[in-house]
Amino acid sequence: MRRLRYSYHMELTFELPVNEHHFKLRCFPSSDERQKISYTRIEIYPQHFSTEEPDSFGNMCIFGTARQSHERFSVDVEGTAEIDASGQVAAIPSKTGIFKYETALTKAGKTIREFHRSLDPMNWMTGYERTVYMMNELYPEFRYVPGVTGILTSAEDAFRLRRGVCQDYAQILLALCRLERIPCRYVAGMIPGEGATHAWIDVCDGGVWRGIDPTHNRECDDTYIKISGGRDAQDCAINQGVFYGGGKQTQTVKVIVKIM
Amino acid sequence: MSVLSRENCERLFWLGRYSERVYTGLRDFMEKFDAMTGSPSAGEYAKHFCFDSNNPDSVSFSLMRAYDNAIVLRDETGTETFSYIQLAVYEMKNAAKSAAPLLPLQKVIDNIAAFWGMADDRIEDEKVRGIIKLGKRIERVDLYARMNADKEDIRREVRRLSYRIGRAGLSYSTEGLSRINALAECEEIDRAGIVREVEALITFAE
Amino acid sequence: MAIPEELYPYSGSVNELLARYGVKFGIYKNGVFNEQLFPFDIIPRIIERREFEYLERGLKQRVKALNEFIRDVYSDKKIIADGVIPEDFVYSGSGWLAQCDGVNPPQNIYSHISGIDLVQAKNGEWFILEDNLRIPSGASYPMIARELCRRSAPSVFAENRIEDNRNYAQLLRRTMDYVNTGGLSVILTPGRFNAAYFEHSYFAELTGARLVTCEDLVVEDEHLYFKDYSGKKEQVGAVYRRISDEYLDPVNFNRESLIGVPHVFEIYKKGRVALLNAPGNGAADDKGIYYFVPAMIRYYLHEDPVLNNAPTYLLYYERDMKYVLEHFDSLVIKDVAEAGGYGIIFGDSLSAEKKAEFIDLLKAEPRRFIAQEVIDFKDIDIFDGEAGKRVPRKADFRAFVLMNDEPVVWKSGLTRFSRNPDSFVVNSSQGGGFKDTWVMEE
Repeated sequence: MRRLRYSYHMELTFELPVNEHHFKLRCFPSSDERQKISYTRIEIYPQHFSTEEPDSFGNMCIFGTARQSHERFSVDVEGTAEIDASGQVAAIPSKTGIFKYETALTKAGKTIREFHRSLDPMNWMTGYERTVYMMNELYPEFRYVPGVTGILTSAEDAFRLRRGVCQDYAQILLALCRLERIPCRYVAGMIPGEGATHAWIDVCDGGVWRGIDPTHNRECDDTYIKISGGRDAQDCAINQGVFYGGGKQTQTVKVIVKIM
Repeated sequence: MSVLSRENCERLFWLGRYSERVYTGLRDFMEKFDAMTGSPSAGEYAKHFCFDSNNPDSVSFSLMRAYDNAIVLRDETGTETFSYIQLAVYEMKNAAKSAAPLLPLQKVIDNIAAFWGMADDRIEDEKVRGIIKLGKRIERVDLYARMNADKEDIRREVRRLSYRIGRAGLSYSTEGLSRINALAECEEIDRAGIVREVEALITFAE
Repeated sequence: MAIPEELYPYSGSVNELLARYGVKFGIYKNGVFNEQLFPFDIIPRIIERREFEYLERGLKQRVKALNEFIRDVYSDKKIIADGVIPEDFVYSGSGWLAQCDGVNPPQNIYSHISGIDLVQAKNGEWFILEDNLRIPSGASYPMIARELCRRSAPSVFAENRIEDNRNYAQLLRRTMDYVNTGGLSVILTPGRFNAAYFEHSYFAELTGARLVTCEDLVVEDEHLYFKDYSGKKEQVGAVYRRISDEYLDPVNFNRESLIGVPHVFEIYKKGRVALLNAPGNGAADDKGIYYFVPAMIRYYLHEDPVLNNAPTYLLYYERDMKYVLEHFDSLVIKDVAEAGGYGIIFGDSLSAEKKAEFIDLLKAEPRRFIAQEVIDFKDIDIFDGEAGKRVPRKADFRAFVLMNDEPVVWKSGLTRFSRNPDSFVVNSSQGGGFKDTWVMEE
């Protein structure tokens, strides 16, 4: 059991004023068997109308509309998390099947398929063990280099570059698992330190979701705070918004997690 | 009372304006075309001012704009009323191919007249009816002022517009309307002034 | 009954009337928009009462099962758990939408308006060809054609007892009202450049539902409103939307979409507005899922299917793959992702080389294709005005089933025919024509 304090800040700045801004935010960790979340602050700027509603993956979302003209849009979320790494998050069978299938971002192309063929797992391994095995094999083949990939880069494109960030590690491993129809999901979250959000994957192991982090080549421990889960990074997008005007936009995210 | 979107208000207004532009424009064209009988440039003239639907000054162009508005107003005007605009389009196409274009063009006029009659008779909603008519009246004053129509004709059309304008339920400039009336009563009519004022009479709120 | 020959002389005049009323469909060719008349054939398809009752039984049963299926795959997914349908066919297509998982639409109706395509074989047997549960179109055409035929040849309608099909607008209105959550019913059109714009505006005129585009609608304080010219807002309770799922709401579906009503999907999830048809219905009208509809009927309704599918093979199953490879030349292969008469390949039409290439593709992507026996269509006569006589053509039949508390089958339908004597393709986008369908009262 570990207690963490987190703060999450996302800010969008626009070159020109935005008038009507419809947003759907997905950056609110929620409690489950593994993590107990409390909030000390949720603040959205500018003034707006909004409501809460979970999406179909169970992620808490706040959606709304800011009609007043603005050049900046921001969200601040702060609170504490109590993590119990042994807490078992059940994989509901009727909600698990979908995670066996590739999406546009996790579709294995030629390069990932070739790599997959080169692997030689033991046939007695469970799905979870195979995933850990594939993670171990993937780790030396890929380098953590920020700035070469973007949020819409697919697993295949990233793997062809052999470089990328946590989102790419996670999506490549998902693509590999899905070639074997192992149910696995993308997780967006936070880990101790200062910087951006982190991403890893959950693998269904005997009816329970277990987290592994391919970027660090390790199993997730009690320092991982989950924000959202889905089939790929797009399902976990922090904000899906539409607005009128605005010109060029810049998004910055700042996450601070401290062990208490 | 029905609910009418702002877009449909504007479309009804322009349907009225363009149908009038076709009607008055064609009557004018037919007269001039007849006067040119025997002239070698008659064909060119007809092509340019009547049938060239890419020329914004042609009758055909106005008719196609009337059609563009009518086709998206089927639910407001009803299929039966709409059909007269559609028929006018077909007749215009026939006229463009005909060696004696005035005969099918007369049918275009007939269909526009029938469209107005049907709109008046068949459209139950007073506002929908009123906006089409207002568009027609505004366009009439505008055209007459531009076309050097007789003073008395302009005064008559200004009176008809003044009578009609309050019944469409759209907001309009009352000062503008009195200025148009004053301009029309002058001995020497300021035609450009009337055009300017009448174009500014109605504004569709954002 | 026999085909009423008294109608022949009116072939031209009914087509003229259709032109007069602007009964057209839009089509893009090389990027240019054109409105085209939909050629009408004066000879109706006639379905005797007894035969229609049989079709009605089969169609109601099918639509009930399809509705159950959609409800199931967006909730408990029992049909997958029980092994009736492999989950591959539910999840790996593009039809099942994750956003819709767990959503319960008003009155639990998903497919409010279903267009079921059938063909009749030479021996008279009917086969289901395709289920259209997203935005099936076409009912307006026989509806207005009937009106105009009655005007042209009243004696035919006086002498024969034909079910009146002009009640479609009332059926549609009732279907919207049945799920309306309070407020206006509207028809949402993508606009005048949509192929079926005539139908959208005609239905609006006849049902009294307001025809709207996305800009006319706004979501505020968790309800949907129609904005009128003065800025006044009126609540909307039912949207018969004629725009596809991906363009419905940019905040929840395709974020690149320039049209759509932001947040409409969220308030739909909360039960504040009805969307007809429900988003996500593509999960059930995919050509791969089609194969399983008879199994669905048995599974959900514990009944034997009244109407059969055309004999279909799923390349996903090894035994079917084997059969298809052995009988390739006598089959028609369909790409499950294509519609509108595209992506259809007749086995015997390929050269040896193309055939080998295509078989490689089948083996590489078995989930992408289905194969069907070529049905020996019963030809149906059309009246050839120039020759002044009847000539046979291929035709299909789209039946419309509207869902209220119980499914209702419209006593008519759209019969489409191929104008080219050698063609099997009847789609209007590929130059086909249409007929009225008469259901006899006795």
